[in-house]
Amino acid sequence: MSDILVAKDISKTYFDEVEKDNVVALTGLSLSVRAHEFVSVIGPSGCGKSTFLRIVAGLDRPTSGEILVSGRKVTGPGADRGMVFQEYALLPWKTTEANIEFGPRLKGLAKAERQAITQRFVDLVGLTGFEKKYPHQLSGGMRQRAAVARVLANNPTVLLMDEPFAAVDAMTRQHLQEELTAITAHERTTVLFITHAIEEAVFLSDRVVALSGRPGRIVADLTIDLPRPRKWEAVVRDERFAAYRDQLTQSIHSSGAKAHA
Amino acid sequence: MSTVTSIATRKRRNWHDFVPSEIVPFAVGILLWQALSSADIWPRVLFPSPLEVANAFVADTLSGVLLSNLWVSMKSLLLGFVISCVIAIPLGYLMGLSKITRNFFDPLVNLLQAIPGLAWIPFAILWFGLGQGAVLFIIVMSIFFPVLHNLLTGIRMVQPVLIEAVQTLGAGRAAVVRHVIFPATLPNLMTGIRLGIAFGFRSLVGGEMIASTDGLGYAIFNAQQYFQSARIVVGMLTIGIVWLAMDRLILRPIEVRTTMRWGLIRDGLERS
Repeated sequence: MSDILVAKDISKTYFDEVEKDNVVALTGLSLSVRAHEFVSVIGPSGCGKSTFLRIVAGLDRPTSGEILVSGRKVTGPGADRGMVFQEYALLPWKTTEANIEFGPRLKGLAKAERQAITQRFVDLVGLTGFEKKYPHQLSGGMRQRAAVARVLANNPTVLLMDEPFAAVDAMTRQHLQEELTAITAHERTTVLFITHAIEEAVFLSDRVVALSGRPGRIVADLTIDLPRPRKWEAVVRDERFAAYRDQLTQSIHSSGAKAHA
Repeated sequence: MSTVTSIATRKRRNWHDFVPSEIVPFAVGILLWQALSSADIWPRVLFPSPLEVANAFVADTLSGVLLSNLWVSMKSLLLGFVISCVIAIPLGYLMGLSKITRNFFDPLVNLLQAIPGLAWIPFAILWFGLGQGAVLFIIVMSIFFPVLHNLLTGIRMVQPVLIEAVQTLGAGRAAVVRHVIFPATLPNLMTGIRLGIAFGFRSLVGGEMIASTDGLGYAIFNAQQYFQSARIVVGMLTIGIVWLAMDRLILRPIEVRTTMRWGLIRDGLERS
């Protein structure tokens, strides 16, 4: 199996300026993600799941351990690990298309090629007709679509997502989740997805990794065997969905005492 | 949306569709002023009427005095503005981006920015003599700090997540500065420039009164020596009008084309 992303024994201790104390966020976390796999990491707030994602992105340094992407050690942020943030993080001074074109432009692609890529991803995420709009003219859901398109247009090795749908309303969230599964299946994207919502993780993923409370340790690593393409209407009626959800819920809740894989 | 409003206004046109909204406050102000001067409470020399001021305005315009004074003042202001920005803007970005530079300049800037530009008048005269050189120095000391201070505030306010987002798209330091820091600091820089010009304008007039032999400030001061109070008002109004024109014709359009279009600032608290 080709592991495209390997996290080896990641630990992170940081100094909390407010608490004036060292906080152990992660201890010895190891995790591998295969090519084209959609992996979600879930856990209670403060378990270090976002810290882990930031370390993978190269935005934070681990205290010990290392991240390998396509066999190369991560030393800082890079275009091979594009990240989608909860707060969209689109550049307000760029239109939808200029935001999506940003990565290809940095890579120095020719204008015609850039435009073709941009239009493809504008269409893919359903923003056709909104190319010239600025982020503040878009709804929350549309902004997050643009943010996803921006990263995908840059053709990353792995797509990192940090609770991307936490800020949108429940109806929009379900739409975005269904769209995301369709898009990542279509593009065969490798995804590392962070969320505290168990059902979201089960719905989206091929595999769900559950972390315990701080410091985060892996307490469950569950392969989700549900047919694709996934639609909420069908998935919630599938008995396995409820079973996965309950199993993960239990793992997290009983994680204080025992850890099992 | 726009069709609906245009149909509505075609049916019922109000008086305020024809008159710019600025006219009303000014008209009220002038009427009040005329009423007060007609009441003859104070002697004319202490309180000239709008008509006298208008006459003085026409006379000073025709003789060319007003225009030549305005020209001198504007030259100083523009030059002072350019000098201030050429130093303050690069220094601001340097301080914002490099901790060593910031730690060195921060205490100095903090101390110096508390000193009003006009407090430099004595040294300005000692160093440059009476004239526009002294005025220029005072203007620079007035514009420099608001521009720098607001720029630094802008750099501090850049959202880290925007920087991180473009880093994960492959942006290096140069691309972060160009695509995130520069545009993100533009609203604050514009505020700094507007404040700076307003401060500079005040210093210009004050500086010319004391440290110069021409310019609008000098003209006001000189008119007072001869009890030509209408000409004082002409000078004062010219200053106000020039400021308004600069703000409307230069500063506002820049703001509308950049920061308002990006949704970073709005005109007021009303929802658009």
